[in-house]
Amino acid sequence: MGLQDNKADTARRQKYVVTRRLDRIFLELYKIYAFHVRFFKEVFVPPYEFKEVVRQCYEVGVRSLPLISLTGFIIGIVFTNQSRPSLAEFGASSWLPSLVSIAIVRALAPLVTAIIAAGRVGSNIGAELGSMRVTEQIDAMEVSATNPFNFLVVTRVLATTFMVPALAMYTIFVALMGAYLNVSQNELTSFTTYITQVFEAITFLDIFSSIIKTFIFGFTIGMVGCYKGYYSSKGTEGVGKAANSSVVTAMFMVFIEELLALQVINLFRAM
Amino acid sequence: MNTAENKRSIMVGIFVLIAIVIFVIGILTLGGQQKRFIESITVSTIFEDVEGLKIGNNVWFSGVKIGTVKEINFYGESQVQVVMNIEEEAQKYIRQNSKARISSESLIGNKIIEIFGGTPAAEQVQDGDMLASEANLNTDDIMKTLQENNKNLATITGNFSEISNRLVRGEGTVGTLLTDSTLAQDFKSMVASLESTSQNAVRASRDLSRFTNKLNTQGSLADNLLTDTTIFNRLEQSMVQLEQATQSATQMAQNLQQASSKFNNENNAVGVLLNDQQFANQLQRTMQNLETSSQKFDQNMEALQSNILFRGFFRKREKEQQEAAEEAQEQLEEQQQPIQDNQ
Repeated sequence: MGLQDNKADTARRQKYVVTRRLDRIFLELYKIYAFHVRFFKEVFVPPYEFKEVVRQCYEVGVRSLPLISLTGFIIGIVFTNQSRPSLAEFGASSWLPSLVSIAIVRALAPLVTAIIAAGRVGSNIGAELGSMRVTEQIDAMEVSATNPFNFLVVTRVLATTFMVPALAMYTIFVALMGAYLNVSQNELTSFTTYITQVFEAITFLDIFSSIIKTFIFGFTIGMVGCYKGYYSSKGTEGVGKAANSSVVTAMFMVFIEELLALQVINLFRAM
Repeated sequence: MNTAENKRSIMVGIFVLIAIVIFVIGILTLGGQQKRFIESITVSTIFEDVEGLKIGNNVWFSGVKIGTVKEINFYGESQVQVVMNIEEEAQKYIRQNSKARISSESLIGNKIIEIFGGTPAAEQVQDGDMLASEANLNTDDIMKTLQENNKNLATITGNFSEISNRLVRGEGTVGTLLTDSTLAQDFKSMVASLESTSQNAVRASRDLSRFTNKLNTQGSLADNLLTDTTIFNRLEQSMVQLEQATQSATQMAQNLQQASSKFNNENNAVGVLLNDQQFANQLQRTMQNLETSSQKFDQNMEALQSNILFRGFFRKREKEQQEAAEEAQEQLEEQQQPIQDNQ
């Protein structure tokens, strides 16, 4: 018995480099790395799928606009309303526009846009590509000499990368308008004063850092959704898993990136 | 390209365009607000302490934002050089002798640089100029002063508390005044006395008023003195004469003083008589000699009267004197006789 156990252990060690779980993690990391490398290779290589990019932009950007706008508007009103008591304690209610603009431009608008996009677009991409993988449509495309990566992944990632910043712009605008509605009702602040105070509080660094962040968020949402869908398996169960995993991973990655971006931006702000 | 694709492309184009427009408007508004797109000059100043001033903080002149802080660098051993961007429009209002100080937008607001002062005689500030700085009271100093005031206030309130306690206990003059009923009675009587005194004062003032009315009565001395110009002129003349008399008296006194001063000198006869001791001695001896001589002269005269040659003369004169006396007696009696007859 003991001899047989020893043989089995030896065979297992020979099968896995470290352990089964660690090997899987490293393999997954390599696949992610290879996926990114392939994307950057494919993005500059013809044929360029402009029509598909536009279609995806429509799906990601235009179709998401109502949801994003409504969310942004509500965020503006709610955040202003919730911030008022804290400022009113110091008799500083007049600083609400400044506070709201900093919060919306620096953090709320990019994050809310990215989370909504991750929930709506990320899951959509994961499910779409997952079902294509499960139904072997991707394999069929490869067989028919169509580059499925270029057509499915590159177009979607490009669409999310460029549409999320645009959506963030809308979110900033709509959220600030929502905040103005609340401020003008309660503090009777004029629109000119409100706009003056909003732009007095923020800097170019705030705007540009937000835009750059949303590019990164969009890229992440696209890449995570495509990766999870492209490599999904296990039939119809895998489709649901890919969709779910796309949303969870994309949101988690967005928050991690937000944290890292904050550190980098603070470095620039201190300079 | 079919219609659906066309529609999608147009929608995406509009979507992206609006997003870009929002972005551009935001950038332009922010740039306009922060005066990034207008011409500016650079002015610097040196502070001992910038109190947490940051790059991008505002620069104010007369309460108006005219620029931003561009650079903050260490200067010398421990000083700090602050470089500011100032709008060209505001350049003409800032003079080379203007000063800069660290201030804040509000009680808890951002730090700012406030440019103030400057005289019209001085030239306007130029690009690269350095303004003088003025140290300002920082929050720590204010808090220290407030702390000091708080301590003083605590001491004062403590003292007031002690005073009120003593008042309640009836200690001290005021406390006794508040609590002692005897003193209250005394106070009442004092007030009554004061009332009586005031009544007397009223009476006195009434009498005084009556007296002044009498003084003003026409024909009285006081009224004449005050109103009659003839009396006044006479009085004036009298005063002039009195003044002249006084001047004469003064002159006389001066003369006397001069004379008396001469008496003290020995260059005149009276001075010699009064002051020269030697002359006095001589005079005394002379007087003694004269006395001795007169005694001897008396003796000689007595001897002469006894002399047979002069005896007749002296008898004759004695007889004439006797006759004159008798005649005078008779005349007196004659004068007294008619008076007795009348009686």
